[in-house]
Amino acid sequence: MANTDVIGGSVPREALLARALVELADTLVADFDVVELLTRLADRCVEVLGVGAAGLMLAGPDGELRVMASSSEATRVLELFELQASEGPCLDCYRSGEPVMDQDLATSNSRWPRFAAETLAAGFHSVQSLPMRLRGTVIGALNLFQVGTGEMPGADIEGAQALADVATIAILQHRAALEAQVLNQQLQHALNSRIVIEQAKGMVAERSGLNMELAFSALRTYARNHNLRLVDVAREVIDGSLAPSVLRAKPSR
Amino acid sequence: MSEAGGGRRERILGLLVGHGDGGFGTKRLCQVCAEATGTSGAGVMLMGDEVPHGSLCTSNKMSDLIEQLQYALGEGPCIDAYHQDRPVLEPDLDRPSTPRWLAFAPPAIEAGVRAVFGFPLQVGAVRLGALNLCCDRPGPLSDDQHADALVMAEVAAQAILVLQTGAPPDKLALALEAGADFHYVVHQAAGMVAAQLEVRVGQALVRLRAYAFGNDRPLTEVAKDVVDKKLRFDPPSGENDPVPLS
Repeated sequence: MANTDVIGGSVPREALLARALVELADTLVADFDVVELLTRLADRCVEVLGVGAAGLMLAGPDGELRVMASSSEATRVLELFELQASEGPCLDCYRSGEPVMDQDLATSNSRWPRFAAETLAAGFHSVQSLPMRLRGTVIGALNLFQVGTGEMPGADIEGAQALADVATIAILQHRAALEAQVLNQQLQHALNSRIVIEQAKGMVAERSGLNMELAFSALRTYARNHNLRLVDVAREVIDGSLAPSVLRAKPSR
Repeated sequence: MSEAGGGRRERILGLLVGHGDGGFGTKRLCQVCAEATGTSGAGVMLMGDEVPHGSLCTSNKMSDLIEQLQYALGEGPCIDAYHQDRPVLEPDLDRPSTPRWLAFAPPAIEAGVRAVFGFPLQVGAVRLGALNLCCDRPGPLSDDQHADALVMAEVAAQAILVLQTGAPPDKLALALEAGADFHYVVHQAAGMVAAQLEVRVGQALVRLRAYAFGNDRPLTEVAKDVVDKKLRFDPPSGENDPVPLS
């Protein structure tokens, strides 16, 4: 198969690889998207390293692998098949966290008979899986398919692993950032809710001549009786759409 | 560089967990902030979008006052550090190279504070508030202290998020609530004043702050007087200025 050199005709391979690494590491962009990152990773493996096709799987929160990106539709189908059949190099690689390879799917007494048959039918004769791993954490695997048989050159495997490593770090950083964002939103929301409730307490206390504790229980009772959230009732009191005098009336239901 | 940074982190984490006597809470966090940076006092201020929410913890009376002043006056090193997204350093509050914090500085100096330093608290792009460090003697932070403060701020920000993990979605984690001062009494008073003056709570808050500042009294104390019905903002006489009721 031809190496479709879309990046630049005479650029040395090392430079292309370096460029791809930088590109994958650039996660500070506002619209960071995991699928896009992984699609780029798959594409660069084909363009820069000259593998036949590449595909990526990531584990979901449940620990089950999912197909995330592929360099071609044929690869996507192969990867889906691998998941359906529950056998193949990607799965073994993800479970062990170690690289897994098969240099000749046609002759070897394959560990994955169904996967091997399907892959051969798609025109690929050898396969290499590399873990997406940072220290102890394995988050998925990168599958590289070759048309020919035999071992991939060491430099290519190292290049692919470097690309996978950078993408792994980017994804883990992105996840940590998202988690921090969600927690901070919760924190801010909790503090804001509390403030609104305290303000409503003050307003009810002033308008109805209650102390803070009784004002609070009036708000809470109203919220319960009307099946509303306390903070929503408080907000209505604050913005004037719910008169404090209404709080003490019996529910109409 | 990264090795030195790792060593600092380890030392600080060691101080945090190596305390022996049980639980890790925000009080310990603030003590470690002061200990690790070799300053007289430390406080952690949580900020909302624009305004301070209040103090998560303080290590001693001096740092408590620093936080109270900034909350009441809306100015100071923490607030600048948060808004400007960088450390804000004032090694000599009494003789600053650029005069700033005209309301904050005099009472702080009066209380014996000579130097103040604010460091933003953030995890990635998430900004939580600021770490406040104060000293009873003038002088800049050494390079080592500065580096420690940066690592400390990072550890503190992460610790806050870790403590909030697992709390119900609408609630602040109990560990964060304990020892914190989010000035609830000020918001209760704002609700009351809003009803007294028939204005929105935001405006009522401004009136409370203005009254406290104009009468040289702590905002919390003024708020408490309103809640205790010792101070009203709508005198029956119809006058415009609030009157204390005896």
